[in-house]
Amino acid sequence: MSQELKSINLIAPAFRGVNTEDSPIAQDPSFADVADNAVIDKRGRIAARKGFEVITTSATPLGSNPITVIHEFEDGAGVTEVLSAGNNKIFKGTTALTDITPGSYTINDNNWKVVNFNNKAYFFQKNQEPVVYDGTSAVKLSTVSGAAGITGKYGNEVLSAFGRLWVAGVTNDTSTIYWSDLLIGHDFSGGTSGSINLDKVWPDGYDEVVALSAHNNLLIIFGRHSIVVYQGAEAPATMSLADTINGVGCVDRDTVQYTGTDVIFLSHTGLRSFGRVIQEKSMPITSLSKTVTKDIIALLQNETESFRSVYSPEESFYLITFVGQTTTYCFDTRGTLEDGSFRATRWPSSIFKAYERLQNGKVYIGTTHGISEYKGYTDNNAKYRFRYYSPSLTFGDPSRVKFLKKIKPTIIGGNTSSIFMKFAYDFNTAYRTTEFTTGNQLPAYFGINEFHGDDPGDESNPLSEFTAGKLTSQVSLNAAGGGTSIVVGLEADINGSELSLQEINILALIGKIL
Amino acid sequence: MSNGLMGMTPTSEYERQIKSPGGIYQNATGSSPTIAQGLNMTPTTTAPVFQMTPPESAYSTGYSPQEQASLLGTIPVAEESRGLLSGLSGGGGVSNLLGAGAGALLAQQAYRRLGNIGDRAMTGAEEIAQLGLEQTQFRPFTVTSATGGMFGVDPQGGTTMTLSPEEQALQSSLLGGAGQFFGQAQMPTAEREAAIYDRMRATMSPEEERQRLALEERLASQGRLGVRTAQYGGAPEQFAMAQAQEEARNRAMLGAMQQAQTEQAQQAALGQQFLGSGYIPQGQLIAATQPAMTTAQIQQRGQLEGAGLFGEARMSGLEALLSSGIGQANLFGQIGSGLLSQSLQPVLQPQSSSIEDLIKQYGIGKVQELLGLGG
Repeated sequence: MSQELKSINLIAPAFRGVNTEDSPIAQDPSFADVADNAVIDKRGRIAARKGFEVITTSATPLGSNPITVIHEFEDGAGVTEVLSAGNNKIFKGTTALTDITPGSYTINDNNWKVVNFNNKAYFFQKNQEPVVYDGTSAVKLSTVSGAAGITGKYGNEVLSAFGRLWVAGVTNDTSTIYWSDLLIGHDFSGGTSGSINLDKVWPDGYDEVVALSAHNNLLIIFGRHSIVVYQGAEAPATMSLADTINGVGCVDRDTVQYTGTDVIFLSHTGLRSFGRVIQEKSMPITSLSKTVTKDIIALLQNETESFRSVYSPEESFYLITFVGQTTTYCFDTRGTLEDGSFRATRWPSSIFKAYERLQNGKVYIGTTHGISEYKGYTDNNAKYRFRYYSPSLTFGDPSRVKFLKKIKPTIIGGNTSSIFMKFAYDFNTAYRTTEFTTGNQLPAYFGINEFHGDDPGDESNPLSEFTAGKLTSQVSLNAAGGGTSIVVGLEADINGSELSLQEINILALIGKIL
Repeated sequence: MSNGLMGMTPTSEYERQIKSPGGIYQNATGSSPTIAQGLNMTPTTTAPVFQMTPPESAYSTGYSPQEQASLLGTIPVAEESRGLLSGLSGGGGVSNLLGAGAGALLAQQAYRRLGNIGDRAMTGAEEIAQLGLEQTQFRPFTVTSATGGMFGVDPQGGTTMTLSPEEQALQSSLLGGAGQFFGQAQMPTAEREAAIYDRMRATMSPEEERQRLALEERLASQGRLGVRTAQYGGAPEQFAMAQAQEEARNRAMLGAMQQAQTEQAQQAALGQQFLGSGYIPQGQLIAATQPAMTTAQIQQRGQLEGAGLFGEARMSGLEALLSSGIGQANLFGQIGSGLLSQSLQPVLQPQSSSIEDLIKQYGIGKVQELLGLGG
């Protein structure tokens, strides 16, 4: 007598992102074991990330080097301008990179931190004399009329807050924070300028300033292993310690991002955020990367170059890129899981070297191509692969053998993309693969002028849509073999069309107990 | 009973001496003046203060009858007069002649006597003056105070003061102290200012250290130990504290300067006080001599008055003697002129009547005495 097929429906698989921390055998199928080049889309489904479109028409000034810094400068009149750096030069513009490097200034590194302050943009990086851009040209900070105390302030971190520039990370003076005179970013020795040495403040005895942040009217000073928070930084001479956090620090200044209500940064133990202080004085810290902590730590330990991050409320993600390892983690910021962590996906082989979210919501990316925009579904017209693998599924009964009979994925989008459906038993990495093609999503038209394109805005050649195309692809794939646990995977080359995985319906025959 | 010696209680010897004729203040030994007692001093005189040599007779001319006779001079014509008078008693013309001669002789005697009287008056006055000098000569004396100090006056009027050993030691100590204080007052104040400043700072430093530690703790608790500002150097509180401490140091410095100057003035004042106190024993010794000086003045006044009285008495005697001499000379002159005038009368009257008239008038003894006819 034939046994009944058991239908196991994985609805919105991996909508909780990757989880490499829990045991794969007992995991919820709402997690993914692998979610590469994926994001959580607006409907909570795992989907392919966007690609990037290169804006720069000529990357000649870069040579073969990438754009490592992108910054949107806004002057007092609200006029914005994109500044960037790479190849030991400073540029302005996007399509055409105009070299604005100060004359007779030999720059030896491209790890600038750029901030807007009082109608100017200030460039700071370690061991390099700061540069200031006034909307027209960039000059060395020491050459500004009235500049004072610049020498010795070649810090790696700069913050524009409380009406001053705050500089830290000076070589051989890593525990000192310097602040400029009020509203005068080039005066570090006169007026109400000053400094504070934190040697006697660090809760663990020693640390060095890595990053600075202003949040909730507090000055947050990130050390490598600890964090100190000052209040009353409007008057730096009298500001006082509000809180100290021991054991948690920041790995790099470029991992700090403001979300409006919180501050996200990468610590040695993963992605962290300050919760907003409501009533209590203390500063609760929430880990945001609990599902991928080990992976993050591994990347941290192996990182030799730099970190880049960006927060985009439009895309609802926080990206953190380990530049030296070409790996980006994407944390969905729409919400947190039960444990307070963000849903995480991974973007491997990431060539992104810089990020900047513009005020119009666009996310600019720096690559060797120049400045690009995070948009479309190709990486500069090159396809990239979306990968999803479920954790090991036992269907609630790990002792019984399962025999897959059918796999029915529901794919949204894709537009004739080749989908590779994979499955394997019992932790075997030799996956069995079934390929299928999603439907054509291009609409069919009638009455279309043969010699006119598909410009829908051309009123003289009205297009009439005949069919909307096949947006959803549901296929039924035969499967074979059996085992106690099953891993289902899906890979797709993203080449111009978005793709989301709505669900996967598995029909299996439950066998005997092994 | 007061004896006129300003309350001094004379001893019996003293009383005897002072009551004896011309023995005023011959010996004051053992006297206890009540004033000196009142001054808590017991001045004693170890020698007669004003020893006066009493005149042999304060109630006569000072001349013995022989001296008086000598002063008046012998009348060389006495024998002649005696013979003349004897002869007069015999008869008439001769008698007139004799009377004229006797009268001339007596007039001559009177003239001579007057001249001798002036010389003798001069000699007598010189002797009185010499005696007055001797009687008013200064007598040295010594005053011993109750604390043992001695004040001596030598015959030349020089004074010698000797303090007791205790007073000498006290005076040496006080004068030595005065010298030290003056020496300290003369020293530059810089060193003293530094010393005072150091002491003030030593007093202030612990509190400043406590304040500094408190501020350090507060800044540490606020995480502001490392604050350096262009405006204040350090944290504003550190600046305020440093400013306050510097102001306190400045005030301490000024205070030390003022204190040093005050002390300098105090040293000078103390030196002045010590110097003044150092001379107190001497001053007290001098003060102790004041009653004795008064007593001496009284004695001296008595001495001077005695000498004056003595001089006046002698002068009175001398004047009486001179008056008697003059009277005698006048008598001689009158007798002489009478005899002479009678002898020159044209009608001779019995000579005997004139002599008889004289005898009747003065007595036979006196006439004989005047004429030197007496035995």
